[in-house]
Amino acid sequence: MTLSIETQHDIAELKPASPVTPRAKVNELWSTRAISIATILIFFLAWSLSAYFKLVSPVFLPSPLAVLWKFYSVAVNGFVDATLWQHLSASLIRVFAALFFSLLVAIPIGIAIGVSSIGRGIFDPILEFLRPIPPLAYLPLVIIWFGIGESSKILVIAIAMLAPIAISTASGVRGVSHDRINAAKTLGASRIQLVLNVILPSATPSILTGLRIALGTGWTTLVAAELVAATRGLGFMIQSAAQFLVTDVVIMGIFTIAIIAFILEVGLRRLERWLVPWSGRE
Amino acid sequence: MPHLAVENISVHYSGQQWPALVHASTSVKSGEFVVLVGRSGCGKTTLLNVVAGLMKPTDGTVRVDGKLVTHPGADRALVFQNDALFPWLNARENVAFALKLRGISRKERGEIADRLLGLVKLDGFGDKSIWELSGGMRQRVGLARALAAQPAFLLMDEPLGALDALTRERMQTLLLDIWVESKTGVLMVTHGIDEALLLATRIVILAPGPGRIVREIEVGFGRRYAKGETVRSIKADPAFARARAEIEDSIFDGETV
Repeated sequence: MTLSIETQHDIAELKPASPVTPRAKVNELWSTRAISIATILIFFLAWSLSAYFKLVSPVFLPSPLAVLWKFYSVAVNGFVDATLWQHLSASLIRVFAALFFSLLVAIPIGIAIGVSSIGRGIFDPILEFLRPIPPLAYLPLVIIWFGIGESSKILVIAIAMLAPIAISTASGVRGVSHDRINAAKTLGASRIQLVLNVILPSATPSILTGLRIALGTGWTTLVAAELVAATRGLGFMIQSAAQFLVTDVVIMGIFTIAIIAFILEVGLRRLERWLVPWSGRE
Repeated sequence: MPHLAVENISVHYSGQQWPALVHASTSVKSGEFVVLVGRSGCGKTTLLNVVAGLMKPTDGTVRVDGKLVTHPGADRALVFQNDALFPWLNARENVAFALKLRGISRKERGEIADRLLGLVKLDGFGDKSIWELSGGMRQRVGLARALAAQPAFLLMDEPLGALDALTRERMQTLLLDIWVESKTGVLMVTHGIDEALLLATRIVILAPGPGRIVREIEVGFGRRYAKGETVRSIKADPAFARARAEIEDSIFDGETV
């Protein structure tokens, strides 16, 4: 028989195909990137010039350098009784605590919606009710019920994260290939084994997408939640600075939020590549 | 010896002109290699799904050793046209999954899985990710996974249908080798008449509109391979061509093609 030949043939097939991106595509990618960088540079240049020539009063538009300096001064000396790191960590802890509780609730709900019509009947209307409501609308109600403590802030963010995670989980669950489920069934998998070993891993890419959307939503909600009765946090810092017209801290706070959001996005993409390297490659 | 009996199976899909299957009866014994062939819409995949327990028939029963089949079970593991592997597991873990469902200890799983991968000529590929494997290799992992369930009957739904012609020929002899070694009963659906002739001990021919079994033919080419004859010499035998013509006649029912 020709088994040895066969094996060699298969090994040859194993080598990953060399990435053949057309040259035009590469050029296009680079030129887009160059345009983006130029846009950012022009933005900062215009900002510097208008600050330099005092086109706008520095009270309203401090120079980029002043803002950069604020990063240092708030990091070292603090602002409204807390350093930049303390504000930042207060905010991050809120977002991640909310994310944790939200995942704990939303993933089972998403699975229930995806696998059972009873689950869908129960949770669909609840999610459809919650989804379009801006978190700021139910923030007062949450404060009436749970006070102005840390738990209210976390709860508001968690509620805002609930719908995107649950909906993405459900759509991932519903998208699991029938062959995959049937294969597990004919190998003797029970319903629970099917959910844990086949459906949940299959839905992971979709859950991660939901998580990414949820983090965006959570980050947006955070600032709003911190506008009410907080003593620490990026939102609180910005709000306090605005009240004293310390515009450079306001702008510095905005940039901090943008930078953190960017880092989270990159981190999540890394996590995706590590957790579901098979996604899109089947 | 395990015996799978298909008795009077009918399947009606609502809203379809013809029943997918009417009064289909056949059987598979251990050591038999039964192949279902027929034109599209003849209900061969429907029949296989009913036997697997994935589909409830409108009428009729499937029994394994007298016991009524109502659900899918590891005694009737199914191999799919598209491997249906789990991409988050490597090749070895995919096979080990079936062992885990059988309650085999973690320690033993790896060893048995490697042995089964060896059986499908994938020695040393256990650590490979699924997406690194070619179509033929993935199909072999799927086969090893089904064998890991130690099924009394191995069900296959066009397992070689998505492969290129050369890979398919190698897989056919591999299927024969495994069938000879494991002595399980096999029930397979295929489009290829040559494939059916080479592999089967019995060919069940179905026809559409409504889907039904029209004929069963005993064949012995697979057994000749098991006794050591080469595939080339079997296919060169005029008896092979005659059997082929006979089956084509039955499938197309005298229509000129």
